[in-house]
Amino acid sequence: MARRFVSIWFRHLKTDWFSIRQPLLFKIPFVLSVSDHGRKIITDVNEQALNLGIEPGMAVADARAIFPSLEVLDDDPLLSEKLLKAIAEWCIRYTNIVAIDPPDGIMMDVTGSAHLWGGEEKYIADIHLRLKNRGYDVRATIADSIGTAWAMAHYGGFTTIVENGKQMEALLSLPPSALRLDINVTDRLHKLGLNQIRNFISIPRAALKRRFGKELILKLDQALGNEDEPLNPVQPIEPWRERLPCLEPIVTSTGIEIALQRLLHTICHRMQQEGMGIRKAVFTGFRADGKLEKIEIGTHRASLNAGHLYKLFEDKISTIEPGPGIDLFMIEALKAEKISPHQEKLWDMICGLEDPGLSELMDRLTNRFGYTPVRRFLPSEHYLPEKSFKESVSLDETSDTPWLNGRPRPLQILSRPERIEVTAPIPDYPPMLFRYLGKLHKIKKADGPERIEQEWWLQDGPHRDYYSVEDEEGQRYWLFRSGHYMENEKPKWFIHGFFA
Amino acid sequence: MKYSELQCTSNFSFLRGASHPEELVEQAASYGYRAIGITDRNTLAGIVRAHLAARTLGIQFIPACRLDLQDGPSLLAYPTNVAGYAQLSGLLTTGNLRAEKGKCHLYKADVYHQLRDIRLIVVPPTVLNGQFEFDQTFEKQTAVYHDVFGDRLYLAASRRYLGDDAKQLFRLSQLSSRLGIPMVATNDVHYHEPDRRPLQDILTCIREKCTIQNAGFRLHQNAERFLKSANEMKRLFHTYPEAIRNTQEIAEACQFNLDMLKYEYPEEITTEGRTTLEELTMLVWKGAHERFGDHITEKTKNAILHELKFIREMNYAAYFLTVYDIVRYAREQKILCQGRGSAANSTICYCLGITSVDPSKFDLLFERFISSARNEPPDIDVDFEHERREEVIQYIYQKYGRDRAAIVATVTQERQRGSIRDVGKAMGLSIDTIQRISSSVWEFTEEWFEGKRLTEQGLNPDDKLLRKTLQITQQLMGFPRQLGQHTGGFVITRGKLSDLCPVMNARMEDRTCIEWNKDDIDAIGFLKIDVLALGMLTCIRKAFDLAKQHYGLDLTLANIPQDDPLVYDMICHADTIGVFQIESRAQQSMLPRLKPRNFYDLVIEVAIVRPGPIQGDMVHPYLRRRNGEEKVEYPSKELKEILGRTLGIPLFQEQAMKIAIVAAGFTPNEADELRRSMATFKAQGMVTKFEKKLIDGMMERGYQREYAQRVFKQLEGFGSYGFPESHAASFALLVYVSSWIKYYYPDVFACALLNSMPMGFYQPAQIVIDARKHGVEVHPVDVNHSDWDNTLEEKSGSFHVLRLGFRQVKGLRAEDMQLLISARANKYSNIVDMREAGISQSVLEKLADADAFNSMGMDRRMALWEISTGNDHPAGLFAGKIPGPSSEENISLPLMRKSEHVVQDYAAMSLSLKAHPVQFVREKLEQLHILSTDDLKKHRNGDLVKVAGLVLVRQRPGTAAGICFITIEDETGCANLVVFENLFDQYRKEILQSRLLMVEGKLQVEGEVIHVIVQRCFDMTRLLRRLTEVINDELPILTLARADETSIPAHAQEDIFHKGRNFR
Repeated sequence: MARRFVSIWFRHLKTDWFSIRQPLLFKIPFVLSVSDHGRKIITDVNEQALNLGIEPGMAVADARAIFPSLEVLDDDPLLSEKLLKAIAEWCIRYTNIVAIDPPDGIMMDVTGSAHLWGGEEKYIADIHLRLKNRGYDVRATIADSIGTAWAMAHYGGFTTIVENGKQMEALLSLPPSALRLDINVTDRLHKLGLNQIRNFISIPRAALKRRFGKELILKLDQALGNEDEPLNPVQPIEPWRERLPCLEPIVTSTGIEIALQRLLHTICHRMQQEGMGIRKAVFTGFRADGKLEKIEIGTHRASLNAGHLYKLFEDKISTIEPGPGIDLFMIEALKAEKISPHQEKLWDMICGLEDPGLSELMDRLTNRFGYTPVRRFLPSEHYLPEKSFKESVSLDETSDTPWLNGRPRPLQILSRPERIEVTAPIPDYPPMLFRYLGKLHKIKKADGPERIEQEWWLQDGPHRDYYSVEDEEGQRYWLFRSGHYMENEKPKWFIHGFFA
Repeated sequence: MKYSELQCTSNFSFLRGASHPEELVEQAASYGYRAIGITDRNTLAGIVRAHLAARTLGIQFIPACRLDLQDGPSLLAYPTNVAGYAQLSGLLTTGNLRAEKGKCHLYKADVYHQLRDIRLIVVPPTVLNGQFEFDQTFEKQTAVYHDVFGDRLYLAASRRYLGDDAKQLFRLSQLSSRLGIPMVATNDVHYHEPDRRPLQDILTCIREKCTIQNAGFRLHQNAERFLKSANEMKRLFHTYPEAIRNTQEIAEACQFNLDMLKYEYPEEITTEGRTTLEELTMLVWKGAHERFGDHITEKTKNAILHELKFIREMNYAAYFLTVYDIVRYAREQKILCQGRGSAANSTICYCLGITSVDPSKFDLLFERFISSARNEPPDIDVDFEHERREEVIQYIYQKYGRDRAAIVATVTQERQRGSIRDVGKAMGLSIDTIQRISSSVWEFTEEWFEGKRLTEQGLNPDDKLLRKTLQITQQLMGFPRQLGQHTGGFVITRGKLSDLCPVMNARMEDRTCIEWNKDDIDAIGFLKIDVLALGMLTCIRKAFDLAKQHYGLDLTLANIPQDDPLVYDMICHADTIGVFQIESRAQQSMLPRLKPRNFYDLVIEVAIVRPGPIQGDMVHPYLRRRNGEEKVEYPSKELKEILGRTLGIPLFQEQAMKIAIVAAGFTPNEADELRRSMATFKAQGMVTKFEKKLIDGMMERGYQREYAQRVFKQLEGFGSYGFPESHAASFALLVYVSSWIKYYYPDVFACALLNSMPMGFYQPAQIVIDARKHGVEVHPVDVNHSDWDNTLEEKSGSFHVLRLGFRQVKGLRAEDMQLLISARANKYSNIVDMREAGISQSVLEKLADADAFNSMGMDRRMALWEISTGNDHPAGLFAGKIPGPSSEENISLPLMRKSEHVVQDYAAMSLSLKAHPVQFVREKLEQLHILSTDDLKKHRNGDLVKVAGLVLVRQRPGTAAGICFITIEDETGCANLVVFENLFDQYRKEILQSRLLMVEGKLQVEGEVIHVIVQRCFDMTRLLRRLTEVINDELPILTLARADETSIPAHAQEDIFHKGRNFR
């Protein structure tokens, strides 16, 4: 059987994708850009922008000179490959052999597939229609060779089918760039007046090869179908999911436990091969009556310790209602993270945050009591005390900032400073006594002030003068006055924390 | 007990200090300080400004410096006398010269060796360690400092309000008594008032390349780094009063001030033991005899005597001799040069050969050029050929030595757009928003800060972050950003230059600079000579060489026949493409109106088409008076003396300054300040002050208020863009010389001009077209005939044939072409010969692209077909053999049409001798009733016309209220288009994008000056693509695919035709 190939060309792959997500963009000119040495350079444009004469390679500033209200979005250099991969996987519905054709195409080996759709015409029409409905402007052509399919999709107008063996006729009137040649070669061909393939297809191969290299001959032969061209098909990624069907419906908790253990074992084994660990997992039981029973766990650090994971699930097994019996179990890792190799040596002597015992303890606590009672704080780079720390979400999270050492900071800080009555000498010497919660404290020792200004870019307001003071009982407090001492205004004093 | 602040960081510690030196001094004075010291980091760049401010305010200023060392705690250094200052400046020079530009690497050893007459303060760390002590190494190092400096060393104590002030002061006092080093109070000032804290934070962000949101601990935690009053300082240090007292001790010990610096002229400019004046006198008379022959007129003699007397009184002889020496060197090296500037147009400079402008063309008194009231040195700028100026610069370095000669710095200032970008980025605004803000700014106005323009850009002017951004931007504007290199201002001294000012490396190799700029050295009274580069001088010298070679003429700037009416005829007809200065579109449309007939008219012509006179609305009154349409009158007799030569209208900067002095009672110094205040943004308040003073002054002297206001408006125009008569005169000479060459030897002119490219207003294509129009035959680039430069060949008709050189071909390199030429002993008869000569494949292809094989009987396509075989690398047995000609293959290529050739010519050289591209679409244009540019002349004022051509230039001068001027070109000539602002917005796309632009509009004819007032625009660039379109095309008509045009590929098409020069 003759081989057949389909080339799909996305005329505006990236801009179409942006428009699909923000439909308003379909109607206005917009461009994608990246920064290059401080200049913003256009990398892609949509149809409307192209009609204005705005082209990739222009500086955004120049394009704005043409069309001042031009919309400019940030380009992601990896985007087109990501999109093509996703589309390629979707295209597997049409054939098993789908390859991406960067930067903006898909190539498929469709030998023997088209008749399932009722012929090539309907086959191509279906591809066209479905992609168009998703919002993509595409050209697709089917032909005997990859080269011809590509050439006609890109340069053949609306030609969708090149009949069996008609490559030569199809190619004749196309420009040399339809052969996917190096730009230097096409330039030289044009300079020599060889503007169409017909102009040089009959020139002796030796003369062509001498001037334009092997590549031209190879590309020509590939397009004509005289030479094979390999395809590099995509492999879809399977989700981290394991199933365990049961011969008899399971109704006992022992049965469920065994199923869970086996599934955990398999999935951990598989994920280890891929260097991934579990952050979140769900265990599902498919009941004979069609109902689903689910339990879910999370960890503070990616884990492959089946025993530990089992313990996390264990507490929740009792919530599973087997009803008439469960005939299929499934486990799925909902969130996985790369696991570093050292984590595999779990039981070496490791201390502190690195200690797996700690993270596993936290997993158990939070699985039982929720997240509120267990918290971890990291320093945050702010002078204002209430902003100088933040809560961390993962044990692996680190902060580039050290804790602000060298300044007096209390062990306990009030979530809101509380007003107090203070007697202090003016203008900014430490206070002598203060009243807090009805109790009078006589200050014996004091240090300060430490002056901290507001973050002016966020809010205006007076600065604070902080003092650390010790009362008669040897208790230490952190007090501050808001703003400068003013002659005709009573200064506002607050307590903000307690030292040991 | 007095207090003096001794540690101030100004904005000359770039991106650290948030106040100008002047602001710090003013604030100190208003607090009643007796003295203030500024200590920028490893630099003295800001001290002259502070010194001047302090002098005005009558407060002691201590020039000082913070020395940041590579291997020890920082020191603050205060010179106590001239010697100490020289040591400090020398130390910084050492540090500067061993580091790249903008850096200064100093070590303890340098400080130990070089600083003697200097008081020093060691700066402790700002934090204590866990034991509440200073770092051990600091204490140890301080002890060593004390051993070296003894009682000249002090210890800085500051209260930073970081919570441990008391502990720090206590530790310092312990250290102080342990080592016997007195403590000195400083406030480590970073800005003159607390309101500058946001700006200082933003500067930190710019420096650290972060945003205010994530700057974190890189910012100061409070606003205490401002200059505090003496009482407040005393309170803060009430437990350590001796620290306050010690500031006075240092201030009193430092009696050095910048006025003590003595600038002395270099001495090795005299010969045979003569004094400078004797030497000058001798040279002047010798020169006078060379210039005027043996019969010097009484008038000239008197002028010389008068000038010499003046020079003797002012003691300027050494200055003139220094300039003379440089010019003499240039002349010996056959480098063309020409002086300009206030003193350059004197009889003496003419005799010395510094200028070639005959002073008899001017009837001016010498003093008019040199202001004796302002005791500052005369100013002479000398222009040299731009390609050879470096030789002159290196001569100066070599003659006086690098320790005595250096280039003046320029202080690059934060400008509007730069400030917005920097501040916006630091404030965390998106690039998009920043661009919108900056594009909302056409000009700096209050309106902008009020946010009106922002609303137009769709931004919310009430947004707090945005308002802060604008506020901070306003403060940042005018801040120094970096020290650059002046274009050519040299300072030369008798003794070591580094005794006067630190010297540093410039970015360019082999260049050294001082840290001070032009205004600074003016104020201190240094000699400066501007050694500038001028492209036109290169062109003229090349023209002189060609004229000698081909016409046997021995031309110099001085011996070109003067006042030739035929040359002026040409100028009056605006036939001035390529001529110096008067070739621009604006100049060309002025020429037929002004009709210059003599040298002084040219001086006016040069000065009048400038933003100054245009903004001041002086052009039309002048033209009316010149054409006798308006009476020439003067508001007073004194003004007649000043304005007589320009028919009562001030056109030159000198006149504007003179009016302020004579008519409003300004002192010369004030007049100069007025000019400067108008040139910078910073001094907004100053301008208003001067406006009042000028108008009041003039009204007191009996002038009408309305007239006074007009004068002020004119002065305002001059402030930023004025052009002095003394410079215009020197330029006018070059205008005349280049016009003369163009008129009599268009072949020589075009050839020299092309060989001096890039310069001037036009592209090579226009110069070639113009030369042909004047009867010069031009021959194409050819591998067997061309040199690298364009050359003149044997005569054909009245002129020599101009042969285009390889330099016109894009992408060729001079070295490759030298190889080609040197191996060309016998003509190349085929490409194989050329390969054997070692010409590379890519060079051959470029030559083929330029169609340079005609003498071998091959057009570009045949040549390329031959050359392409080079890709086929013989292997094995045949390795090393060069592939033979391919004639045996017998393949016929499609014949190349002329239009294709022209397109390829443009692609390779941006010009074509074969035809003009528009010629090929003429038929199509005629069908559309589009006129050629030449046909416009046949139409009358007010006619509706259509015209099309390639866009040469688009301009939108700031002075023309948004009007866009476009010049287009077709095969018959050029046309000038005018697009008003509203239409510009409507046709923005067409105007900016078209290579071939068609417009419809009304003809405006004013004598010889023809404009089209545009009403509609059309982009006809697509027509050009037909030039290369493939004929016999079987493609379906409707192809929306990539190949919708089957011509040469789009990417190549884009760059073939010049985009047209653009405004930004």
